[in-house]
Amino acid sequence: MTHQPVLSIQNLHVEYTARRGKVKAVRDVSFDVFPGETVAVIGESGCGKTTLALALVRLLARSAKITGGKVLFQGGKYSAPIDVLRLNRRQLRAFRWRNCAMVFQSALNALNPVLKVSAQVQDTARAHGEHDAKQIEERALWLFQQVRLDPRRVYDAYPHELSGGMRQRVLLALGLLLDPQVVILDEPTTALDVLTQRTIIEVLKRLREEMGFALIFISHDLSMAAELAHRIVTMYAGNIVEIGQVNEVFYQPKHPYTLGLMRAVPNLSGQRTDLISIHGSPPDLIDPPHGCAFAPRCAYVQPICHQQAPPLEMRATDHASACHFWDQLPILREMPALQPKAID
Amino acid sequence: MDASLSTASSDASAPTLRSRLARFFKSYLVRSLLQALFTVWLVLTVTFVLIRLMPGNPVEVFVDRLVSDQGITREEALAQAAAMFSVDFNAPIHEQYLQYLGNLVRGDLGVSISSTNTPVIEIIARFLPWTLFSVGLGLLISFILGLLIGMLMAYWRNSIFDVAVSTLASFLSSIPNYLLPIILIYLIGVQWKLLPVARMRGTYDPRLTPGFSIEFIASVLLYAMLPVLTYVLSQVGHWALSMKNSTLSVMGEEYVNAAHARGLPQRRILVAYVGRNASLPLFTQLALSVGAVVGGAIIIELFFLYQGIGVRLFEAIGARDYPLMQGIFLMITLSTVLANLLADLLYSQLDPRVRLGTGK
Amino acid sequence: MTTATPSLPQARRFTLPRLGGIWSAIRRHPSGAIGLFGVTFFLLMAFVGPLIIPEPKVNVSARSQPPSAAFILGTDNQGKDIASQIVHGARPVITVALLTGILTTIVAITLGALAAFLGGLFDRVVNSAANFVLTIPYLVAMTVLASFIRLNSPITQALILTLWSWPVLMRTVRAQVLSLREREYVEAAVALNLGTPHIIFREILPNMASYIAISMILAMTSAIYAQIALITLGLVPLSDLNWGKMIFSARTTGAIYIADTVWFILAPVLAIALFQWSLVTLARSIEDVFNPRLRSGA
Repeated sequence: MTHQPVLSIQNLHVEYTARRGKVKAVRDVSFDVFPGETVAVIGESGCGKTTLALALVRLLARSAKITGGKVLFQGGKYSAPIDVLRLNRRQLRAFRWRNCAMVFQSALNALNPVLKVSAQVQDTARAHGEHDAKQIEERALWLFQQVRLDPRRVYDAYPHELSGGMRQRVLLALGLLLDPQVVILDEPTTALDVLTQRTIIEVLKRLREEMGFALIFISHDLSMAAELAHRIVTMYAGNIVEIGQVNEVFYQPKHPYTLGLMRAVPNLSGQRTDLISIHGSPPDLIDPPHGCAFAPRCAYVQPICHQQAPPLEMRATDHASACHFWDQLPILREMPALQPKAID
Repeated sequence: MDASLSTASSDASAPTLRSRLARFFKSYLVRSLLQALFTVWLVLTVTFVLIRLMPGNPVEVFVDRLVSDQGITREEALAQAAAMFSVDFNAPIHEQYLQYLGNLVRGDLGVSISSTNTPVIEIIARFLPWTLFSVGLGLLISFILGLLIGMLMAYWRNSIFDVAVSTLASFLSSIPNYLLPIILIYLIGVQWKLLPVARMRGTYDPRLTPGFSIEFIASVLLYAMLPVLTYVLSQVGHWALSMKNSTLSVMGEEYVNAAHARGLPQRRILVAYVGRNASLPLFTQLALSVGAVVGGAIIIELFFLYQGIGVRLFEAIGARDYPLMQGIFLMITLSTVLANLLADLLYSQLDPRVRLGTGK
Repeated sequence: MTTATPSLPQARRFTLPRLGGIWSAIRRHPSGAIGLFGVTFFLLMAFVGPLIIPEPKVNVSARSQPPSAAFILGTDNQGKDIASQIVHGARPVITVALLTGILTTIVAITLGALAAFLGGLFDRVVNSAANFVLTIPYLVAMTVLASFIRLNSPITQALILTLWSWPVLMRTVRAQVLSLREREYVEAAVALNLGTPHIIFREILPNMASYIAISMILAMTSAIYAQIALITLGLVPLSDLNWGKMIFSARTTGAIYIADTVWFILAPVLAIALFQWSLVTLARSIEDVFNPRLRSGA
């Protein structure tokens, strides 16, 4: 493992223009992703996860604007870090997919209905200067096999001839077509049945070993995050409120919001813990509160929380949280005597 | 490989004759064809009923007139009418109907009363192509132009271009298409004097002999210019507005975003991802608009004195030339049904989702 | 009023916006206000105008005059004031259009609602008939028909025009009824066995009032289109003065080729275009106000 991050997000801010004013959807977000590492970004819908992902490849809607920060990328043909936000149009086009592939949330609609899968594969390759159609076809067929599809059939099919799970895997394979250094998956399994979800998780695990890409996935499926991720980023109201090694975060969350999320789902290992949902709803991002944004919903709130926003600071090894009272939170479960997952 | 797809989906062990037939009739092409055939049959039958069975129907009127004008007996008059329509009016009605259908299959549409016994089919063969040519050209130009303008309006939405074109288009499409010639003749011929409108009658300069010469083709295009311009002006606004709405909704589709994410060049996205999908609903409308444009065309030709089938139809109406009227009506309708079929087939080629069960 | 009727889930009923609501609707939809103004203007012109403005009279000393203070749109080849002809020629056109609009609406709603509710053979027959009518170039069919059917009363004209204008609205009604039928308050009515007419007229149609208004307006525009076509061609033996007849006589006297008398033919053309535009604009705005989702493109 090198110590140069493949993607380094620094103080990123994104705003949407709405009728009532500016919606501060992503506020001062910073984190690094290292080669081969898997980072899961979790949080409720509307917390800024998807906006963050779109900002990384600059695919935000017209009404959204990146108002500050940097997204540094290093890898592929870039031996020194470059700022994705400052790439010109042509460089950006090349960066997308070749260096960083983003697989969209709604797999059902992410393929052009009037073109065969093969045409969309070839389109993608040609856009990046790969003109050997035969070689691309072979690569695509191999990838389809890797994601457990019937390669020939899928390659010659129109999107409407494939099921939702098949399309999701086509997109995944398409994402790996050009061997990118970073793959971003936005809710990769939301619309799928449990069995297909399982397949996709298995496939992702194996392929990232074989191909060594870094993976950022956006999800509210905590069990999937627990299974796949090396590190967890919790977002709330546009901020990162907690970031740390997966076991750290899952067993000893140091932010009451993460704690709440963990308690809101049944335990994966079958232990019965209290299922508690978080009361209230996220704050108005047009006029965010002065203190801690989570304070109004927090069970551990103190007067200071309403006045002063807690900084995101290291609380343990490789584990940061933004809470004044991080050390007073209950320990969710005892940490098992396991080695933390290593990145190869 | 297609075979594996179909068997996998239907789970049938071996295709029986019945399942094959079912698939054949389900295929889009066959369904469109059957639909078109049915429409043609219905048109023929309704026409027959109107011409022959309705009280005060043309055949009766024609016979009565012969009797009173020429002082002949009713039998003689019926015989004359039979010669004109190529149908024996003394036979039982179902035989008349069969004769009528049989004649049509053989292309015998009877004989024109007003133009000294010329077969109706000859007159139609001479004039209908000009109408189809000018209407087809006008529709094609307006469709393509409308698609382009509509896409630009969507890309530059709320710009001056968008607002100006929207306003103009909504006004242009409220003028009945057959009244546009009045405005065109006034502006081009009278006000700006760009073209000798009053002298431009017919389909080409009568001093030229038809052939594949540059002068002749230029003359054909020049003489067709005003009718074609009329068809374009009356249709282009409608296409542009439809395309704009369609493009706007396609631009919000995930696959367009995903194409950007894959780093596809802008041009490829515009053509194959946005344009192609956005134009799909317009092809279904194209089929329906053929009839409307052809309908307007018969009047538009009259204003420009363009010698197509429209002018003939009016001469026929004026002269009470029923065989000719019937023939022209049938052939125009047939052309429309055919154009509809073509538009349908084109649509099925562009949208793989409607090509049901067309596995090779 | 309290009756023993079992209470149904409340349907979203068509209600007229309050006065304040109308004003804000006008401000939000300025083009709709213009359309409404245009339609009102033409209706007043057609039905009140002839009472105020004198009938155009033949005046041999003022033939084919260009627009002037005395004749704001000039005179025709008989010296008749064109502006006054426009006013007096409006009523026959608009009457037939209104009649056709009403007839089309009745026919289309009846057939569409029945087709959706009865389904089966009836549905298929109605649909094929609609397809058939839509395929036929109806202006051609109508010119042929007009050559042997006498179209001398507004009612026959409206009937013939309705023959060609019902399919579009019928399809909309059918589709709407099919989708509304799935909603819970209709399902409740069906479960309570309230009878098809009750369900159609009490539960479904009130929810479609805006569609019906729009379609009626659009049927009026297509009626004007076809009607003026027939008159322009001289196929309708009308003795009354009307816009189509003006175009017919202007065309046959060659008024269009003479710059001074061009208003003889341009004035009715523009009147028709403006009226049509007002109708279409009004219809679009009604759609905007009542079904904003349909046009937002989301």
